[in-house]
Amino acid sequence: MGDVLSNLALGFGVVFNFVQWAPPFLGGMSIPIPVNILLCLIGALVGTLVGVLPGIGTIATVAMLLPITFGLPPVGALIMLAGIYYGAQYGGSTTSILVNIPGEAGSVVTALDGFQMAKQGRAGPALAIAAIGSFFAGCVATVLIALLGAPLTKIALAFGPAEYFSLMVLGLIFAVVLAKGSVLKAIAMIVLGLLLSMVGSDIETGASRMAFNIPELADGLGFATVAMGLFGFAEIIRNLDTGGESDRQLVQQKVTGLMPTKDDLKAAAPAVGRGTVLGSILGILPGGGAVIASFAAYTLEKKVSRTPQRFGRGAIEGVAAPESANNAAAQTSFIPLLTLGIPPNAVMALMVGAMTIHGIVPGPQVMQKQPELVWGMIASMWVGNLMLLVINLPLVGIWVRLLRVPYRLMFPSIVVFCSIGIYSVNNAPVDVILAGVFGLVGYWLIKHDFEPAPLLLGMVLGPLMEENLRRALLISRGDWSVFLTRPLSAVLLAIAAFLLVLAVLPTLRAKRDEVFVESEN
Amino acid sequence: MNWSGRSLAGGCFAVIAALGAWSGQGHAQQAYPTRNITMIVPFAAGGPTDVIARIVTGHMAQTLGQTIIIENVVGAGGTTASARAARATPDGYTLITGHMGTHAASVPLYPNLAYHPEKSFEPVALLAGTPILILARKDFPAKDLKEFIAYVKANESKVNAAHAGVGSVSHVSCQLLESILKIKPVSVPFNGTGPAMNALVAGQVDYMCDQIVNAVPQINGGTIKAYAVATPERNPSLPDVPTTKEAGLPEFQAQAWNAIFAPKGTPKEIIEKVNAAAAKALNDENVKKRLLELGSVIPAPADRTPEALGTLVKSEVAKWTPVLKPAN
Amino acid sequence: MSNAPGHAPVKSIMPKWVRAPQDFIGGLALVALALFALWASSDLQGMRGFSFGAGTAPRMFAFLLLGLGLAVMVVGVTSDGPHVSTYHWRGPLFVSAAILFFAFMIRPMGLIFTAFASFMIAAMGTPETKWKETVIVAVCLTAFCALLFPYALGLPLQMVPKFMIR
Repeated sequence: MGDVLSNLALGFGVVFNFVQWAPPFLGGMSIPIPVNILLCLIGALVGTLVGVLPGIGTIATVAMLLPITFGLPPVGALIMLAGIYYGAQYGGSTTSILVNIPGEAGSVVTALDGFQMAKQGRAGPALAIAAIGSFFAGCVATVLIALLGAPLTKIALAFGPAEYFSLMVLGLIFAVVLAKGSVLKAIAMIVLGLLLSMVGSDIETGASRMAFNIPELADGLGFATVAMGLFGFAEIIRNLDTGGESDRQLVQQKVTGLMPTKDDLKAAAPAVGRGTVLGSILGILPGGGAVIASFAAYTLEKKVSRTPQRFGRGAIEGVAAPESANNAAAQTSFIPLLTLGIPPNAVMALMVGAMTIHGIVPGPQVMQKQPELVWGMIASMWVGNLMLLVINLPLVGIWVRLLRVPYRLMFPSIVVFCSIGIYSVNNAPVDVILAGVFGLVGYWLIKHDFEPAPLLLGMVLGPLMEENLRRALLISRGDWSVFLTRPLSAVLLAIAAFLLVLAVLPTLRAKRDEVFVESEN
Repeated sequence: MNWSGRSLAGGCFAVIAALGAWSGQGHAQQAYPTRNITMIVPFAAGGPTDVIARIVTGHMAQTLGQTIIIENVVGAGGTTASARAARATPDGYTLITGHMGTHAASVPLYPNLAYHPEKSFEPVALLAGTPILILARKDFPAKDLKEFIAYVKANESKVNAAHAGVGSVSHVSCQLLESILKIKPVSVPFNGTGPAMNALVAGQVDYMCDQIVNAVPQINGGTIKAYAVATPERNPSLPDVPTTKEAGLPEFQAQAWNAIFAPKGTPKEIIEKVNAAAAKALNDENVKKRLLELGSVIPAPADRTPEALGTLVKSEVAKWTPVLKPAN
Repeated sequence: MSNAPGHAPVKSIMPKWVRAPQDFIGGLALVALALFALWASSDLQGMRGFSFGAGTAPRMFAFLLLGLGLAVMVVGVTSDGPHVSTYHWRGPLFVSAAILFFAFMIRPMGLIFTAFASFMIAAMGTPETKWKETVIVAVCLTAFCALLFPYALGLPLQMVPKFMIR
């Protein structure tokens, strides 16, 4: 314990490092400047501003802004990068809530209830609770990393291909549970998502699958492209239907309060707590754990709630839980990087890249060899979260004001911004066209009462599931029983089976959700 | 700090547009370079190729007196970027840092490749290579390379090899090793070096071949072990690891080399100028130090000419084609 | 749920035994998609001994989708459900046109022209558009984009049409 405190003190010492600044015009006087805090603040600000642009998700934002850190000293660069990362994540949540466009897989679930809240004039509380939940989760996860980082690494190593496959199966079941309509249709959408995720190159042979020789499809359909189409463009097209008019006016009519009320906080607090715990655990698992954190949290909330029918219709817990889980997972996903030196996901790989540029090659000894770096980064995570709160709570007012822009002016702006956003990620016009196609697909799905969220989650989990299944079978030489004989994997599959039964039973019994729809009308 | 253009989302059309602006002005008489040069890196920012390109071009920019903008264009094992570079105007303002994969192994791996390393590019300068190591999980029964070879041959059906995806350096070098040893173990694909290394550290797979830069910290940390380095000389960052020649497998020589290429038809004077700048950078003490820290091998002066690079590409294409063809 | 039963005018071309046309057609489309995927992945290798081939997983998911699509169709025949709500052409047409225009014009014409024109095309998607204010907003938005993307974010986007650069 004493160790941790002194380590944390070291870390905060690094972050609160003051540099004496003596500009000539002050005539020899010098001002202490908290350089690293400023870098963190700038990082979080820029990250938020880029992340908030529709179409540009966390990875794209970090990749885009990475080069601006190359000129800085190593610790400062990493602290700024951490700021960019959190900023980008939060920026993505903002677009999910305001315009129903998730920038990455994690915010798909935030969009479900967040956008409904915005429609009901409660965008302010939704944005605020996302910031507050994220901050709380960030604090807890920071302490967790400092206290238990090293022992928790074992979890990361205990997960092999078989366990990941089972985890992904569980993830798909979460995707079923979070659907609000027919379970059968939700499953169909997941499978459609899985099928779409097969487009691209085969991992084992490199063979091109269903890409029709289009070079832009060689690496598969981009998440941003599909999400933008299914959520962003489809939502716009649907709103332009006469039937959607009432929806739009809601946004402009009654904007109630910018901050969450006492009741909101009371409802959200347990959700934030549960989301934090789930997110912290799942975030440690490299290669896919963090992806399912947010919808695992959403599913849990829907299951423990006494009023599950509110979910998908603007429940504040439905924003608080996934946002907390997302941020906690983002934080704990640093653990494998800090203790093993192995980047667990694409964003972390970029971080390693930044370290390498600065001549730091992270490895299992990075904690002993460069304690000021590791602990400085842990401390900066906390500071980064604080910055998010500082930046975003005041911004809530501005975002909400944006919603008052008449829709006839708003929607062409979104179309243009989305197009630029998608185009700029790969400089590929084909991506823009694909997003447009998925916009029409999304419009069709809405007309036939299919939900796009399970489709998107299926698309994200598909490659992870297939790859790990194949790896597990390769290692076991084709023996399917590994998924049941390995205890962790068996437990995960058992939970998945249990949840599936829970999800299917009510539909078999009384078509519960449809009954609720009727009673609402 | 140069913001513009350094981002991942670089557009070649912007370059072409700028080109038009320049060539239309009619002051082409001035000596190259008169404006910013774009260096396409076919991998993500922070990868081994990107790091080497950034270190070297940082120095080259001083020599040439113009900013060199790094543009990371990711996709399809670097072939997307290479195809784009091959189509660029051959005026020396668009260059690419290619590597063993994009400019040699891609030929047998991608039957529909939109370019050819020899026919579509002018070789400019060899930069640095990262040696390849034979690595195994820390409790793998073999003590040294001889035992390793005996073990994998005896237990061919039980052994699992890992690689970072089709076309990656770890994949093609493992294929080479397997063709030399005449074994066909199960090779387990991962999505990138990180996950593959994670599986090796966790002991889920038995061995893999990978670039030194990724492996050094893990070897020093004792989480994996290295049997040999596939270069003629030992590497200063791992002085205790023998070469494949010393350990009894001299045929296995592999290095992930990185080199600058220009689109076919780029004037000779320009190529020589860029080559000279690159050679000068490799002589700089600071550049050398940083490259050596990464475990890279800096080419000898005789290997730094465009002609030498041309020969290398030719021999590498010839080397990888038979090894990788049957895999497809 | 915006498409609750009874919202849209009912003029069904479906035979009587289809009790929920929305589900029936939805399922039918999924079946068609699954068949298309099966065709598209037919050139891929299947199982190779104990290991999956490139085509194994795509075909597996395609068959699953086929089954699920059929199940959705069956639901559409066996239980009562909503009709297909009416499609409107104006929104989809102009929004798609704006997106397509953007995709094809961004390279030759540059950001300034393309962003402005795409905005105007998209604005035609609703009869509520008031042209004067739309033009003003489009100009402001274009100016904002022209400053934001290249300068603040460092994206190397081309601003003006290619032919004007010479």
